[in-house]
Amino acid sequence: MFRYPEYEVHARKFRSPTPGLLLGLAVTLLAVVLYAAFTIQQIHRVQQLQTDLVDRNRRDSLQLLRIQDNLHSLGLVTRDLLDQSEPYPLTAWAPQFKRIREDLDDALRLAIREPSQSEYLNSSLRQFWTAVDQAFQEPNEARARQQFRDSIEARRATLANMVARLLVRNNENEQQAGTQITAIYANVERNVYIFLVAMLVLLLASGLWVIEANRRLFARITDLSAQRSELARRLITTQEDTLRHVSRELHDEFGQILTAIGVMLQRAARQDPNVLEVQQIAQNALQSVRTLSQTLQPVLLQEQGLLPTIAWYLPTVQHQTGLKIHYQPPAPFEVNPATSIHIFRILQEALNNVVRHAGVEEAFVRLSATADRLTLEVEDRGRGLAPGKGPGMGLTGMRERAQLIDGRIDFQPCPQGGTLVKLQAPR
Amino acid sequence: MTRRSLLLAAAQTNSPGFSFTDVTASAGLNFRHHSGAFGSKYLPETMGPGCAFVDYDADGWPDILLLNGSDWPGHKKQRSTLALYRNNRNGTFTDVTRAAGLDFEMYALGVAVADYDNDGYPDLYITGLGQNRLLRNNRRGGFVDVTAKSGLGGRQAFSTSALWFDYNRDGLLDLFVCNYVRWTPATDVHCSLDGKSKSYCTPEAYRGSTCWLFRNKGDGTFEDVTASSGIFDSTSKSLGVAMLDYDEDGWPDLVVANDTSPNRLYRNQRNGKFEEIGLRAGIAFSEDGKARAGMGIDVGAFDGTGRPGIAITNFDNEMTALYRRATGARYEDSAAAAGVAAVTRNTLGFGCKFLDANLDGALDLLVVNGHIDDTVRNIRREASYAQPPHLFLNDGRGKFRDVAGQLGRSFAAPRVGRGLAIGDFDRDGDLDVLITTNSGAPVLFRNEVRNGNRSIRFRLQGKKSNRDAIGAVVKLIDGNETQWRMVHSGSSYLSQSELALTFGVGKRDRIARTVIQWPSGHVEEHRNLLTGRLYECPEESPPKALDGF
Repeated sequence: MFRYPEYEVHARKFRSPTPGLLLGLAVTLLAVVLYAAFTIQQIHRVQQLQTDLVDRNRRDSLQLLRIQDNLHSLGLVTRDLLDQSEPYPLTAWAPQFKRIREDLDDALRLAIREPSQSEYLNSSLRQFWTAVDQAFQEPNEARARQQFRDSIEARRATLANMVARLLVRNNENEQQAGTQITAIYANVERNVYIFLVAMLVLLLASGLWVIEANRRLFARITDLSAQRSELARRLITTQEDTLRHVSRELHDEFGQILTAIGVMLQRAARQDPNVLEVQQIAQNALQSVRTLSQTLQPVLLQEQGLLPTIAWYLPTVQHQTGLKIHYQPPAPFEVNPATSIHIFRILQEALNNVVRHAGVEEAFVRLSATADRLTLEVEDRGRGLAPGKGPGMGLTGMRERAQLIDGRIDFQPCPQGGTLVKLQAPR
Repeated sequence: MTRRSLLLAAAQTNSPGFSFTDVTASAGLNFRHHSGAFGSKYLPETMGPGCAFVDYDADGWPDILLLNGSDWPGHKKQRSTLALYRNNRNGTFTDVTRAAGLDFEMYALGVAVADYDNDGYPDLYITGLGQNRLLRNNRRGGFVDVTAKSGLGGRQAFSTSALWFDYNRDGLLDLFVCNYVRWTPATDVHCSLDGKSKSYCTPEAYRGSTCWLFRNKGDGTFEDVTASSGIFDSTSKSLGVAMLDYDEDGWPDLVVANDTSPNRLYRNQRNGKFEEIGLRAGIAFSEDGKARAGMGIDVGAFDGTGRPGIAITNFDNEMTALYRRATGARYEDSAAAAGVAAVTRNTLGFGCKFLDANLDGALDLLVVNGHIDDTVRNIRREASYAQPPHLFLNDGRGKFRDVAGQLGRSFAAPRVGRGLAIGDFDRDGDLDVLITTNSGAPVLFRNEVRNGNRSIRFRLQGKKSNRDAIGAVVKLIDGNETQWRMVHSGSSYLSQSELALTFGVGKRDRIARTVIQWPSGHVEEHRNLLTGRLYECPEESPPKALDGF
């Protein structure tokens, strides 16, 4: 029994590559998303720190500067009040003090300080304003001015010093914050790089895995393709063997039998003329068997080669089908006997297609050769190949045969309509 | 359409529709400012002078008053006095300084004009270095110095702009005076831009000086209410003052431009006192919190909202401020958005006035410029001592473009500009311009409107209100459009414009509604007033139309 060990169905089921590829894509996307999220999170962290530390400190410093400016204005107003160069009573300065006080209160409200500092500053300012209010309520102007000179100005100077110290501290805090932020930036940068390397490793592993999966897949496809080609070769060989066997059986066995029957009938006809008719039938059957035998496996091909076989075959087809075939025999050239049968079969199939599908009454067959290659063309001006329609068994068989002899076959539409089957193969 | 006609159409589209013609010489103004400079670069030398359109003879034709400095003690070289030019009603003027009794010497800087005694004739308050002077109009073409008699004597200061207004609405005009810094030749300090030669100091070098408020007692005398009214501020360095009704309560408020100290907004509390709310109102500092060098100031409803905004000129590199009313009670500086900031970056502005130069119904803004030091170019290449003015034309929606360069070569010429006053001296219905220059000649520009736009003018006369109707608000209402003007003294820089109000009305031949809100509280409405003429409007009486302006 004939056996095809390499074509045994594998017990292991063949797996689709799609899930793996999708997994690779998912891993890549996930890596990108993770990297972006990580970077954003790190930036937000730094921004938050800046907002918390630097901006807060800056806003506080601005308000402290505003407070300092107000204290400076209070100093100027107090100086003007004390030098008595204006002809106005002490109360004339009250609106100026009130204006500065309003702005001071506003600045204190906006300043962002630790509760202890804030309380201390507020308390000192409350005492200052109490002293100012008392001075403005003092009915004796000289005594009131004395209060400004001895007490209020001193309190103002103390407040100014306090604010100056706070500003210095703010400055130090700002420098510390700057150092801290620089360190955080360095840390973030390092983290980003580490994460980047991790992501690259992950992407590399994922990429290598996909490449390996693809490599296996292609190897599998190549293997399957080779198996398919071998299977086709064996099928065709088997077919040819079978045809050859049947052809020989027809020629040898049935031919001998029919020849013998014909001789016997010829003898019988001498006694009974009516047998002549039977003998004629036997003679026709013998001719048909011989023709069929030639068609299935032309003995001519083995004995005389491709070109004489084609020269014999084309008039036979023309006679059998009515298709007018234009053929100009080329100058004789040698063709590998192993190749000839496949070229002949392709010619047979091509003409068969013309007869069955082209709907024409004539066809053109051209055969030419170079030193090492031959070209066979079968052309018709018929309907042409139906667009979008897949190849039938005939066309597939032609391709298989062309591949088997390392040739190439093309099915091309002709400019005038119809189909050109063009085979190029080694001789 | 040909290329030529396209260009012509484009040129017509961009044309401002009017021009300013320099008529100084033909008008007979041959004045030249004398600062007394002799090399010591005393601060007052670079500050003046101011000017005024004043109808001193009450004939309806604006006359011209020009202020002058004087030589410094010990450096006497020439005699220099104020100059009063009487309008000859034919485009020319006659020098009547001596006849008017104004041929005295003082280091004058600014002027405020109003009929403080309600006798129908404008009086003068002259500010300057030392003692300011109150000059009462004697109704016979002259002035009498009543400084001492009025109680305004005995005060030495560096006074700049001043204005008359009726802060307590008693029908008598009171007086607000800006003082700059505490400076005398003896306290002058050495300042230098280049580190070598002396230059004019900026006011940071000196202590501030309070503004003054004098209440008109109605008997020819004044009471100093600076302290009791809450105006007193020893740190102010004031150069310009304008009146406005900030809270729209009918009581006049004041806005003061200070040089390197915060601008002030004094809100009238209706009880003889003011509350300073400049910071709260958003005009004290620039948008970046800097106290700018405020010089000139004016108030006008320029953005089509019907609510007055404020223009304040500043030092170069500080840009002119253009405050418009934002939401609530705050102003915001819209100079950048309005197209004013960038243009004024390299100019040092002094006098400024809102006026409808092309009579299209939208208030334009005129700014005169000039640096304080003639060596400035050695320090800043983009700045120059003499500088061209800016005439910002309003597109009606509060956006401005500077068209000074399109108004004639003379108008756009660089000058050391200081004072600026506007008035219709030729009585053709549009506003002419008077500019003074430091140590130079004044320039009188006649406005020639060629776009066919019309105007309507009002000269108000108070009865219960002060006679000049200062503080009265006139609104023109036509359809959805409302124009707003207030009769005011002061504004600009050291200068006084005419009190009559001029409205541009485009092509309209009549105004649907005219509403007058008098300082006394009386409100009048007049319908369908014809344009193209001046209306004399006595309080509580129908307006009388003149045949023309």
